[in-house]
Amino acid sequence: SAAAPRPWKLFGAMCLVRLPQITQPLEKVEEEMAALMQQIELEKSHYSDHEIRKLQEEEQLKKKKESLYDEDEARGKTVIMAQDLEEKWEQKFLQFKAAPRITDADKSNDRTSLNRKLDSNLMLLVKQKIGNQELWLLPQVEWQPGETLRSTAERAMATFLGDHIQAKVLGNAPYGIYKYKFPRAIRTENNLGAKVFFFKAFLQSSDLSQAELKADYQWVTKKELGDYLKSEYLKKVNRFLLD
Amino acid sequence: DALLGCHRSYRSRPTHGIGKFKYLLPKELPKKRKEKVRMKEIDAGTEYQYGDVNIQMTSHDLCLVEHFAQYVHRLCNRLSIRVNESYAMPTKTNEVLFMEERGSKMQLDAVLTTHQRVIQVRGLSSTFAPILLEIIQSSQPEGVHLLMKEHTEADFKSRLKARPELEELLAEMS
Repeated sequence: SAAAPRPWKLFGAMCLVRLPQITQPLEKVEEEMAALMQQIELEKSHYSDHEIRKLQEEEQLKKKKESLYDEDEARGKTVIMAQDLEEKWEQKFLQFKAAPRITDADKSNDRTSLNRKLDSNLMLLVKQKIGNQELWLLPQVEWQPGETLRSTAERAMATFLGDHIQAKVLGNAPYGIYKYKFPRAIRTENNLGAKVFFFKAFLQSSDLSQAELKADYQWVTKKELGDYLKSEYLKKVNRFLLD
Repeated sequence: DALLGCHRSYRSRPTHGIGKFKYLLPKELPKKRKEKVRMKEIDAGTEYQYGDVNIQMTSHDLCLVEHFAQYVHRLCNRLSIRVNESYAMPTKTNEVLFMEERGSKMQLDAVLTTHQRVIQVRGLSSTFAPILLEIIQSSQPEGVHLLMKEHTEADFKSRLKARPELEELLAEMS
């Protein structure tokens, strides 16, 4: 007989992750350990070339002061002293200003911008209409026969963010699956419920200047996912998210 | 006579070969000079397995790169991934010259060394490879470049030194 129509609808969802740009701040133990190791290394290390040169020049200066008419003065060295080099380097260092780490704690939790929380993963959440409800979900699109699930997920990403996104999809295998049954009112013989397959992708470039099609999108960290997603969905999604 | 007294054990004596010990040592095979280049690359259909994957870590800071390479190696050991080789590429030294054109032209030199460590891993299943990549990425320290790629012959050849005399002789012969 012909292949029985499967009662499950298939969806492919894409979890777009923006990688952290900065390292996370060290914990107290880590900081203390790092300081201790640095001190040990400093005490164990030998003098570098620059430091030896500096010491030698200091000794020469002392000798010149004590024995005023030194023969070395007759040579007339016009050598840059190591001390001068150090001072130059210090000045240069003071001119350098690092970019601020907490950029958008200033922006007071503007969750639609990508510059938030530079030290953790940010995931894309989109508001979608399923059945009668509007829910916050990872962008998903229904699977059409004849295409791979991965291309479904890529299509989902494209419909919500436009075509020109540089995102790298990790492999052809899905990361997680969430299946749910439709409420009894809609359930028919052929349509028991839906299965959503999750894929993961890394965002390569951090500028999304192209217009977003749907206005309700947010970039959320893992902890904040709980505010938006339903508990069952959240459980399955949390399984494949690293912090 | 005492002068001619020798205590040689003949082969029939029970003490024949009493001082032998070489049979106790492990046997050494004669060393082959040529190294085998190609290993198997398995790319099956549904059950993907990458053949040889190189994880290359480059940085300017030597200690950082070495410690990170050690960490990745131990991680692979714990996750029971087979590590073929773990080697270092030769360091590259760059001289950076600053030309300051405000006031007096000065040249400040800076010497930067770039270090690279490579870990070769075999037997990654395609379901696990992206997870491993993510783990390594999330624990990447500052200032370390990470690159994961498949092992090719060009990668192998980049480790070997070119032999100009051999090439000249070969050119002369042919």
